[in-house]
Amino acid sequence: MPAFGLLPELASGNGFNQLFNEPRFWPALILSIKTGVIATLLVLLITLFTLICVYGTRLWQWLFAWIPSLLAVPHAAMAVGLAFMLAPSGWLARWVSPGISGWERPPADWVVPDAHGWSLIFGLVVKEAPFLLLTAAAQLQSINVDASLRIGRTLGYAPARCWSRLILPQLYPRIRLMLMVILAFNFSVVDMAIILGPGNPPTFSVLLMSLINDPSSRAAASAGALFMAFGLVLLFVVLWLLERLIAGIASGRRESGQRWVGHILWRRFYSAFIAAFFALSSISIVLLVIWSVAQRWRFPAVFPTQYTSRFWLGKVDQLTSPAVLTLSFALFTVVSVLVAAIAWLESERRGIVPKLDWLWYVPLLIPQVTLLFGLQAASLLFFIDGKWLTVAYIHWFYAMPYAVLILAVAWREIDPNWHSAAAVLGAGYWTILFRVRIPMLIRPIAQAAAVALAVSVAQYLPTLLLGAGRYQTLAIDLVTSFGGVDKRAIAVLAVLQSLLPLLAFVLALLVPRLVFRSRLAH
Amino acid sequence: MIIQRFKKTVLTTAVCLSFALSTVTSAQDANVNATWDDLLESAKGQQVYFNAWGGGEQINSYIQWVANTVEEKYGVSLTHVKIGDIAEVVSQLQAAKAVGRDSDGNVDLMWVNGENFAAMKNGGLTWGAFARALPNTKYVKDTPSIKFDFSVPVDGLESPWGGAQLVFIYDTEYLKQPPASALALLEHVKAGGRFAYPAPPDFHGTTFIKQLLIELSEQSTALASPVEQADFEAVTAPLWAYLDQLHPLLWGNGESWPASAAATMQLLDDAELDIALSFNPNEASAAVKNGQLPETVRTYVFENGTIGNTHFVTIPYNAKAKAGAMIVANFLLSADAQARKANTEFWGDPTILDVSKLPAEDQARFEALDAGPWALPLGAGKTLAEPHASWAAALEQAWLERYAN
Repeated sequence: MPAFGLLPELASGNGFNQLFNEPRFWPALILSIKTGVIATLLVLLITLFTLICVYGTRLWQWLFAWIPSLLAVPHAAMAVGLAFMLAPSGWLARWVSPGISGWERPPADWVVPDAHGWSLIFGLVVKEAPFLLLTAAAQLQSINVDASLRIGRTLGYAPARCWSRLILPQLYPRIRLMLMVILAFNFSVVDMAIILGPGNPPTFSVLLMSLINDPSSRAAASAGALFMAFGLVLLFVVLWLLERLIAGIASGRRESGQRWVGHILWRRFYSAFIAAFFALSSISIVLLVIWSVAQRWRFPAVFPTQYTSRFWLGKVDQLTSPAVLTLSFALFTVVSVLVAAIAWLESERRGIVPKLDWLWYVPLLIPQVTLLFGLQAASLLFFIDGKWLTVAYIHWFYAMPYAVLILAVAWREIDPNWHSAAAVLGAGYWTILFRVRIPMLIRPIAQAAAVALAVSVAQYLPTLLLGAGRYQTLAIDLVTSFGGVDKRAIAVLAVLQSLLPLLAFVLALLVPRLVFRSRLAH
Repeated sequence: MIIQRFKKTVLTTAVCLSFALSTVTSAQDANVNATWDDLLESAKGQQVYFNAWGGGEQINSYIQWVANTVEEKYGVSLTHVKIGDIAEVVSQLQAAKAVGRDSDGNVDLMWVNGENFAAMKNGGLTWGAFARALPNTKYVKDTPSIKFDFSVPVDGLESPWGGAQLVFIYDTEYLKQPPASALALLEHVKAGGRFAYPAPPDFHGTTFIKQLLIELSEQSTALASPVEQADFEAVTAPLWAYLDQLHPLLWGNGESWPASAAATMQLLDDAELDIALSFNPNEASAAVKNGQLPETVRTYVFENGTIGNTHFVTIPYNAKAKAGAMIVANFLLSADAQARKANTEFWGDPTILDVSKLPAEDQARFEALDAGPWALPLGAGKTLAEPHASWAAALEQAWLERYAN
């Protein structure tokens, strides 16, 4: 509403006019479209190539043991790690300097973040590719990949052909929605864009953030938020057109029946690339741990020349309060999300509410900036901005979709006979729910809890906008301090922020085992 | 609605006035302590939200120390709300004022100066002349930059906290003779030197271009008056001509910019840059002691001087814990707090106290401070006055139009 000058109390003037007069408007918008689209396409390509080249190999199993930990690391922390890795004075350059490269000082040939958005694209791909890969892998069983591969091979197609001709056309519709979620995210991300994105002009979402913080530009920010949603819809349309185009070409080629020999060398090369790619992002986290205990560490030293623990031990005061606050939101989110998701799925199972999976994608498909600007204005009007519960609610809101989507599959698959059997034995509804259904589903429930926790810990923008700046969680502290505070202190925050979700994922692996063991012991 | 708001405004003004008057009259009374004691009493147990820039590790630690001390001494619980740019908070206050939220505000004390203070003063977002009522205010220096914040009269609406001057830090390992004027700097990058400044509207970036403007413009006297009274194009033309030459030669080619002045210090340590910017003459010392910069760094200013100013704290009109905020503001002015702040082990921010007015034992604490060879040598370099507060926004806008697309 403020965009159209309808709420002059919150923002004065016509936002659209102000927005079009803003000199950074077009360059920022173009930058966001560029980084969003390229990052999304790369995510899709990497996912598909990984399926084609790595599926069924030992690397595949290794990747899947590793991916959850990459997903657990919050975007902001990963961005910091990558920045420390890729800068001219970063770890990669240090390993080859001055010996191989001859660099006595860091090279002046590139900077991180760069002006064209490539650092940001890289960061987005590192975080989002594992996500899509995991989504796609979860679908493989339902489309019977192994059988398709066997049939294709007996027809004389190379494995890569089997994938492109037989499997991908079935797979793509199943991951399309998640791809759109990723596109929406890449197009509108704020925290990662602050750390890895160009500063001048910044991405569109970061520009909107600086506009909403400028007293005279609030209306322009609101107009921009609407513009952003509109732009995203256009991008979805482009994506859909692209799909039609590729589908058309592919069906023509499918009918040609051509058979070529797949290149084993190419597969090897790609496998090495993907292993290096995932290793790089994991190593960035190790790098953060090293920086967090470095006292002096100048270029080109590969390891610190002096160590210190004072950024951890000396800052206990300053670290405890954001850590406790982060934890309080996270725990609230986990409990409320689990209760709400289970209640929803139970209602759905008993026919009280219809099956509405698409509903849960809606929050993920609207750019955060758009939704949150609106909610912020509303919270100001209703005097609920800056309240703990308002912030906790918005964490719940963003964690809920993931929890429902994770739990839904398992919830629906469970054999109804278990329920009947328990009922015959005289168990009431609640007994069955707590003694049969929930224990049977403890593994997906633990996963959903871990994901909910990771989502909550990573929330930057919602905490900032609805918390009126009062809730200094680790995410806020990290992004706020990135521009200023020295590397060691940033590294401590990033490590701490990553630690909570990583622990949660480890627990999600361990708890179901412990529960099973204790139940077996009965 | 309008009448209601009018009433509220009248009421708030009345409260402010009566407060100011009562303290003024009581200051003439012998009974001055009673008022302050009452304040101390009502401040006990209050929760004070202090919105201050959170991008400096040592500053954050210092504020944490303040929080611990005021809790212990006065029972005031202080929370540092770390923010990236205080303009955000000014914007929040404007929104609050627009919807008529005139009490129970989110901010009790905030760190401001310059155009943000000007915006608050114009918008009626400051509470009142509280600074005049602070007991420690009698030790404060009597200088123009404390009475006028970027040429805007302070009128007791904010209380000074520290002094600042634009300085340059360089590493003698890589740079022997640092460029000491705008033109020498241009020569330096032409010869392959590595330099960059944060893009305006970053505060330090804006200060840096103001510095260049003062040095390059032939009509720099126009800068002391509001920008509307000047021929902006004519005054600033030499600046843009200079930047057009400088930018392609910068680190990041004038396309990527350091995120902040603190980032330039990190880049100096990484040897990606030759020179870092700071607004604190002692920052290099603090950074060396903190392991952030090598011992080979030195601080200097341009030969014709650099911009200096004062930073302040103020209490917003709708603050919830005003008494607590005043206690904290007063504590920030104490010799205890100021001496620690001036100590480069902790922060190294120059004091705004007139040390000669202090009791002897407090004077000794300031004399014992040694910033070491890394800081700006005392008395080195002239301080230039800030342009009028209205110039910042105009310069930022013009800079963005030229270089942000």
